[in-house]
Amino acid sequence: MAALWPDNPRLIGEGVPRLDGLAKASGRAKYPSDERPDGLLFAAVLHSPHAHAKIVKIDTSKAEAIPGVKGVHLIANEGATLRYHGEEIAAVAAESEEIARDGCRAIAIEFEVLPHAVTEAQALADGAPRLTPRGNTQAGRAQEDGDPDAALKEAAASIEGEYSVPVITHVCLETHGQVVRWDGDAKMTVWSSTQNVDGVESEMAGAFNVPATDVTVLTPVMGGGFGSKFGADTWGVAAGELAKKTGRPVWLFLDRVQEHLTAGNRPSASAKLTLAADKDGKLSALIAETAGTGGISRGAAFPLPYVYEVPNSRRQHTDIRVNGGNARAMRAPGHPQGCLIMESALDDLAEKMGIDPLQMRLASLAEQDTVPSGSGEPLNRSEIYREQIKLGTEAIGWNQRKSRAENAKAEGPIKRGFGMALHQWGGGGRDDKQVTCIINPDGSVELRSATQDIGTGCRTVLAQIAAEVLGLKTTDINSNIGNSQFPPGQASGGSTTTPSMAPPAYNAALEARDLLFKRIAGALDAEPGDLSIGEGVILVKGEREVPWKDACRKLGTMPINVTGSFSEGLTAQGVGGCQFVDLTVDTETGVVKLNKIVAVQDTGLILNMMTWKSQVYGGVIMGLNYGLFEELVMDPSTGLSLNPDMELYKLAGASDIPEIDIIPFDNEQMRKRGVIGVGEPPTIATAAAIGNAVANALGTRVPHFPMTPMNVLNALAKA
Amino acid sequence: MPPEDHKAPAELPRPGHSRRDFLRGSSLAAAGAVMATSAETAMHEARADVSETDGVAIYSGTCPIELKVNGEAMSVTIEPRSTLLDTLRNRLGVTGPKRVCDRASCGACTVILDGDAVYSCTTLAISCADHEVRTLESFETDEGSVPHAFHQNDALMCGYCTPGFVTACQAWLEKNPGQEPTLDDIKQGLDGNICRCGTYIGVFQAALDAAKAMKKGGA
Repeated sequence: MAALWPDNPRLIGEGVPRLDGLAKASGRAKYPSDERPDGLLFAAVLHSPHAHAKIVKIDTSKAEAIPGVKGVHLIANEGATLRYHGEEIAAVAAESEEIARDGCRAIAIEFEVLPHAVTEAQALADGAPRLTPRGNTQAGRAQEDGDPDAALKEAAASIEGEYSVPVITHVCLETHGQVVRWDGDAKMTVWSSTQNVDGVESEMAGAFNVPATDVTVLTPVMGGGFGSKFGADTWGVAAGELAKKTGRPVWLFLDRVQEHLTAGNRPSASAKLTLAADKDGKLSALIAETAGTGGISRGAAFPLPYVYEVPNSRRQHTDIRVNGGNARAMRAPGHPQGCLIMESALDDLAEKMGIDPLQMRLASLAEQDTVPSGSGEPLNRSEIYREQIKLGTEAIGWNQRKSRAENAKAEGPIKRGFGMALHQWGGGGRDDKQVTCIINPDGSVELRSATQDIGTGCRTVLAQIAAEVLGLKTTDINSNIGNSQFPPGQASGGSTTTPSMAPPAYNAALEARDLLFKRIAGALDAEPGDLSIGEGVILVKGEREVPWKDACRKLGTMPINVTGSFSEGLTAQGVGGCQFVDLTVDTETGVVKLNKIVAVQDTGLILNMMTWKSQVYGGVIMGLNYGLFEELVMDPSTGLSLNPDMELYKLAGASDIPEIDIIPFDNEQMRKRGVIGVGEPPTIATAAAIGNAVANALGTRVPHFPMTPMNVLNALAKA
Repeated sequence: MPPEDHKAPAELPRPGHSRRDFLRGSSLAAAGAVMATSAETAMHEARADVSETDGVAIYSGTCPIELKVNGEAMSVTIEPRSTLLDTLRNRLGVTGPKRVCDRASCGACTVILDGDAVYSCTTLAISCADHEVRTLESFETDEGSVPHAFHQNDALMCGYCTPGFVTACQAWLEKNPGQEPTLDDIKQGLDGNICRCGTYIGVFQAALDAAKAMKKGGA
């Protein structure tokens, strides 16, 4: 049987500062957008100024005549239909970015502007333009469990509600793009801001019909993806075309407007639902009509019911297409939407029944919600939730919570409220990824894998694992990732990167250690079985200490080079978490001010407590943005987006950040589960908990997210 | 640490040209006059071609300028419209400051110009000729430094906003030597910067630690 994670680790689980942290904090880390190979041309993209239009005529001659413009590449040709504001039309490469933008402006296009539908209401209206041959809506498969109509008749109480949340965008700080350099006619180097190094390699190889072995994709560091950076994209291919055409390397990154409009979004979600419970507050029936738009693409599905067991349910979901950019995966796709709709309705039902919403949640958890464990027994996630809720309620001071009715009666315009929500996620490792471990005769150690670090700390935890096995410091390990020529690495999606890469890193280090013992034992007058690892030393028969470098020198000229793979018992999946919010609302201005957020999270074995906490803080803050600020606003009359920027598209700044209390749900049982991944789960429940705390403070539900002054005041006006 | 508001006093002793002024100015008929608030700048601009369309002066062509970046004199040929940020990143290979919003909303491009934190994405390079530009590449990195405090507190994830936070923090500490800021001071001081990964908690602690180290070092 393959080895399991060590019982008493020296480094695993410790908070180790990330290996690339100082380079990032001193401006020395080179991001793909910082690459400046010799002879570089800068490219800019021309995008559609209309929500819906046909290109009747396109003339690039004026652009090509501008001194300094070196190449023009059409992404959309004459006759093409542009389906949203921001869709790419052409790319221009020039000696400077300024000239490349001049080139874009000089492309003359005759458009036939077509009628548009940029909001769900417009797309559903009578006489709406037909945006795809299949129409503007696509119904999902009807979902039915038990007998919801009968259960509703027998229920002790029920509520009818409508809840919604708008389209938001990823807002990666480094925009999408890449630098492409042809090395001769058939080889290519690509510095790509991606969360999928291997995927970009195959996409570029396919687009240019060159062998994947001749495409090297490099992503040493990158500036954020959140689910939107899995491919080379049309503009990445355009950079390759321009580099080919001009014979020079080409830099092409989207501008901020394009980043908002064409590089992905989290679809909107809305629900019209009936939720019912029995007299003990246990949910008994859910009947829901749900919808959402992911722009011109599908992808607006989300889970419902969510977390809780509802024995009788019926749900019909419809994807609505509008003239907007395509949806892309965004940190826990679908879950924040499902969570805030389910948790809002549950809270409203508890309020109507006069039950503490915490009690309704406890009553409605499934009796058995089995999740696998790596090396331990399968667990009942409902039990995990119960323990987490206990920790969370204490940390937030849930006993200070008053009912909505009491809060509404409170004196003065400032109202305080408490809210909570639960979430779940899969995570877990894939079994087909590899890591190479090299031990050189000079004692230096290198790990190699194609996988990338998108800010999670993956580079550092892999080094920590190798250092643990080899008795070294984390900083002794050269954790060389983000190179498609290295062994296959996991794409960073679904919180699977670390759980996919940690097992092969561990196995590679173990195999390298054993091979080292075998190779040097003779020179140390010992048998391989006599050797063991100490801190910075090799121990002979547990006594004689040979410094690591001296021991490695016995390798002569041949390094150790082994590639490790996946093995059972090192990873699991299926995590739970809960979050609590304490806030105040000014009923005169509608401004919501957060006082405190508590996040309790299980993710199995935590490899690096420092980077783990950063991810949970980050998840909560992204959820806080979703709950309070974010919305991509579309103008129904012009069909254009009104806020594709970072001024009117609101994100939290320093003074919006409340006290945040992160509680790792970390115990021996959890550690036995193995590595699971934490990128996604902690961003799910925050917005839902904020919405519930606002409802608690005001005594009335604000049904439309985010909790902006406008939405709060509108709800108060109706109450 | 809020980068200086270029809309504020016109009688700034140091370059007052921002892209905002430029845009505002160029919408007026007397754009040339609005822009030329210093003779020095006007001289540089004179090297570029000036033409007039519908009563609006349009500068084009290129002109050589001298920039002092991180203590080093650098010659560079720019266009009058080139921002300080694009000049640093695209022409001088100084890629520490990042271009994120490109509209003075997020602070990732923050540099220190004659001691003040400014958004280099909305500062025209031409107006910085012969002024002192410092980017985070020039900061100390050993114990007690701002980059070190960010590293130790994991005040970064993807790290793309980090150069701006580090620079804003450094500028604030230099302007307020020997002070030990409160958490609220730090939050206010860093409110001109945005992080998408959500590293604020680590950033606050890093700023507090760096201030403490600086006080200790200065005392």
